[in-house]
Order: sequence, then structure tokens, then C-alpha cells
Amino acid sequence: MTDAVGTHTGTETALRQAEAGPAAGPPREVAFTPAFSCRGVGVGFGAKTVLEGVDLDIAPGTVTALVGPTGCGKTTFLRTLNRLNDRVPGFRRSGTISLVGEDLYDRHMDPLVVRRRVGMLFQRPNPFPLSIHENVIAGVKAHRLAPRSELRSITERSLREVGLWEAVADRLGSSPFRLSGGQQQLLCLARALAVRPDVLLLDEPTSSLDPVSTEAVEDLLRSLVPGLTIVIVTHNLAQARRLADRTVFFHGGRMVETGETAELFENPQQEETRNYVSGRFG
Amino acid sequence: MATVPVGTALPTASPHPDRALDTRPSVRRRRWSRRRAANAVYWGACAAALAGVAAPVVWVLAGVVNSGLRDWHWSVLTTQTVGTGGGLLNAIAGTLVIVVGVAVIVGIVGIAGGIYLAEFCPEGRGGLLRGGSEILSGAPSIVLGYVGYVTLVVRFHWGFSLAAALAVLSVMVVPYVVKATEVSLRSVPTAYRDGSEALGMPSGYALRRVVLRPALPGIVTGLIVAMAIAVGETAPLLYTAGWSNNLPTAHLFHAPIAYLTYPVWTFYNQPYASAHRLAAVAALLLVVLALLMIVVSRIIVAVTQRHSETSSAPH
Repeated sequence: MTDAVGTHTGTETALRQAEAGPAAGPPREVAFTPAFSCRGVGVGFGAKTVLEGVDLDIAPGTVTALVGPTGCGKTTFLRTLNRLNDRVPGFRRSGTISLVGEDLYDRHMDPLVVRRRVGMLFQRPNPFPLSIHENVIAGVKAHRLAPRSELRSITERSLREVGLWEAVADRLGSSPFRLSGGQQQLLCLARALAVRPDVLLLDEPTSSLDPVSTEAVEDLLRSLVPGLTIVIVTHNLAQARRLADRTVFFHGGRMVETGETAELFENPQQEETRNYVSGRFG
Repeated sequence: MATVPVGTALPTASPHPDRALDTRPSVRRRRWSRRRAANAVYWGACAAALAGVAAPVVWVLAGVVNSGLRDWHWSVLTTQTVGTGGGLLNAIAGTLVIVVGVAVIVGIVGIAGGIYLAEFCPEGRGGLLRGGSEILSGAPSIVLGYVGYVTLVVRFHWGFSLAAALAVLSVMVVPYVVKATEVSLRSVPTAYRDGSEALGMPSGYALRRVVLRPALPGIVTGLIVAMAIAVGETAPLLYTAGWSNNLPTAHLFHAPIAYLTYPVWTFYNQPYASAHRLAAVAALLLVVLALLMIVVSRIIVAVTQRHSETSSAPH
């Protein structure tokens, strides 16, 4: 398959290393440039502090789940990773976040480019009021990533990636709102993948879907790794267990604990984590 | 609470202290018939309200169409006014020029203003603009016409002219378009904005490609209302456009221009039958013009909304 959209050599190298990686030696997050590296990250809006002191490395080509009770700051943290909070009134941030070694909030860093490299999927499917085809290529066109003649094939490739091609091939020109909720979410995923992001941020992507659609989305997400780095916010602990390589537990605006998913669930180090994963609160 | 064994009839004799839970058949029947009566009363009220709205419309339309058709002659479309007789070609052309001019000016200024208020304006500054816009829309049209006459026509030496007419009419209707644009943009779901921002679309691009589209029906409706007001307005034009028996020229200044509401108002006050006939035909043409604008706006809305959330019922 040809990559029509362009590449990011830094991540590509990291990914190749990651694919060759685990058997070869030391833990991945030590050996490679992390997809995200956060040091002392704090976030607030106006007088209200939402997050503080987050130190976290996210290894490339892995799935990281962010879990925690409502209002713990996990979604805010996620939106900080693609600078989606920039335009929220009163937004302030401290500490550093780097995206594959580059300072995410450097003043020379174009937020639009950041968002091209760091895609996002929301809680509820949000296709644009355009045709299915126009939806898939919306980002490609916005960033002028491909000539007009290639747009059709990008649509097909992206829809095939998410397994939606067969269902919509004969109605690319019609409205996306005729699709089921699960299909709409897959379409949004195809739209996010069409611009060839390095990282995908998911904000409870299956919370408005039925179990069958949820399974389809989860299977798909698993298949995208390690070609892609995935960070997923979820309220569903079972989903975190099924999907994530590593899980991060947030509580009260702090990152309480992080670890390999199985380790965090089976053998949590902190009292709060233990209470949360055993269902005693949350 | 005590459980009632399955199959046991509910106690019918003991009235429950809570009236809603009183399930005796007589009580239920009485309640049902009362509800039906209330239902009939409300339906009747709705029908009366509908008739109250529809009747005057039908009455006016029937009157205008009836008298207009009685005096209809195809030559009104092809000949110019002579004195108080002849045709209306000059007035039709003048009205079209004025309406298109207003649509262009108001379309640009009004939509841009609405976008600014909805998308880019800091909280504090919006109040001032909105307040000014509202005061403007509350000003009586004849006052605006008079101000236009005193300043533009007389003071600035524009004379009776297209420029003066366009300026006054545009000032008059721009608040409608600003308001319609702002309201429609604000009602666009935030999911569209989030989605386009998360894809890394520049804000102007997202506005054009994604956000503006669902707002378009509201904006077009506002623009059509503005154009309809411009078509039907008389007072400001009497003060600024003057009247001319000739076709509109390319001159913006010092060239009076004809318009359809002039014969309706002025000719009807003349003591000649030919003038009355022309007034009736002009009224008919105004109604037809308004209808055409509504049809065109509906077509625009239908075409742009074919992928929208509301027009696509789930399968």
C-alpha cells in the first residue's frame, strides 16, 4: 500500500524499533522516544485547577487507558495532548509535554499540525453534515495532503481500514446520519485515520454504542496497534483491561498510579487504586 | 405496603387518599371523559388560532390577486409608465435592481456581522453591537427615510438616487440578517466545532466547510426576510429613490428610480381609473415577487441541507 499522505520520520523510526522491540531487550518505554512525555503537567481553567503534577510517558505503538472517577481530570488531560483546550477561556497549563521529543506547547509548534498528527475520537459520533465521502476526506482536504485525483482512493482505503467499505461503498454521496450509531463512530474513525495520524486520542469512544458495535470498535483499535499510538479515556474498566497495554489511574486531578494493565488491576500499589479497580467507588 | 395476591381484584370500594391512585371504574370513566373534553377544547382553540392567522392571509391574497388579474394586461410587463397610465416595466426593473443591491450589501455586511458576533467577538463588545443593531431594527422606516432624505439626498447632494435608496434600505434591514446569522450559528451543535478543530482545520476553513452549512437555512431565511422587506418598503423610498418613468440607469447618484410600491401607494390616491388599475397590478406583482423569493429560498435550503442531521431519518 502506498502512503499517499506523507510520513513523520521520527515516529516511523520509533515504530520500527517498537516492532522489533520487546523480545530484544529492555522495556519499550525506556528504549524509545515516547510518543508523549509529560513532566509536571498541571492544567486549570481560570481559578479552578483541574490537574496537577502529572508525570507520564506514553510509549509509541501501545494502547494506554486513562481511568478514574468522573471529574478526575482524565478528559482534560486527553484534550491537553492535542491542544484542544487552547481556545477554552481561562485555560492555563504548567509543566512540559513533548510529542515524540518536540515540545508540544512550543510557540513554533503549529497547533493545527499537532492535531493532524494527534487525531481524536469523541464520546458521541460526530460526522459532519457532508456526504460520507466528504466526511472521510475532510481532514485530508483541510491539510491539502493529497491531490484531488487521490481523494477517492483515500476514502476507500480509510473506510476499508475501519471495515465500513462494504456497507457504504454504494452510497458514498449520501448523508452519514442515515448510518447506525456504531457505523457513524467508525466513519469518524476513518476520518481521523485518513490524515495518517501518529497518535489517536479516544474519549470514551464506545460509551454511546451497543455491545456489538463496541466489540467491533475495540477489535479495530487493537488492530491499529503498533502502527498507531492510542490513548483512550474510558469509564469501563473491563474495556481498559481488554484493550490497554498500560493503564493510568487518575483521581482528584492527580495521576495516582500507572502500570502494565494486568499489574495495575491485579496488584495495585496505592490504596485509592485498589478501591477503584475493585469497584468500591467510582 | 401490603402485596395483593395475583388474580385478586383490586379493592374498588375504598377511595384511596391519593386521588390519582383512585382506581374505581366510575372514577376512571369520569376522568377519561373529562380528559376527552379538555382535548376537544384545546383542539378547537388550535383550529381557531390557525383560522385567525390564515384568514387574513387568504383574504389579502384573494383581494390582491382578484383585482390585479381583473386589470391585468401583459403590456404592463413590457411598457413603461406614462403619466398615471401605461405599463410598469420601469418599476419592475427598478425594484429588482434595488432588491439585488440590498441583497448584496446586506448579504455581505449582515452575514459578516453575524459571524463576527457569534464566532469571534469578545463577550463585552458584543453587547454594544447587538444593542445598536436592535435599536436600528426598532426605528420606524419613515424616520430612517427622512434621515436619509435630509442627509444623503439633500446634505450630501446625492439627489433622489439608487445610492440613497440602497443606503437607507440596507441600514433598515441589516439587523435582521445579523440577528438571523448569529442565532443560526450559535445553534450549530458544538460537536461539529469540536470535530473540525480536532482534525486540525483552521477556524475559518472549519467555519466555511462545516459550521456554516447547518446554519445556512436560518441565514437564508433572514436574508429573504430582509429582501421581502426591501421589496415591500414604501416610506424610505419615497424619500430617497423618488420616482421615474424611465428604466433604471447605471447612475448611482442624481438619477431617480422607479419601484413597485410607488404606484400602489401614490397612484391609488389619484382620481383616475387607469391609475387605480396600475396600482392593483403593481400589488399583484409585489405578491408574486415575494412568493418567488420564498420558493427560491426553500430550494436553496433543500439543496444545502441534503446531508443534514435532521433531514436524514435513520433507516
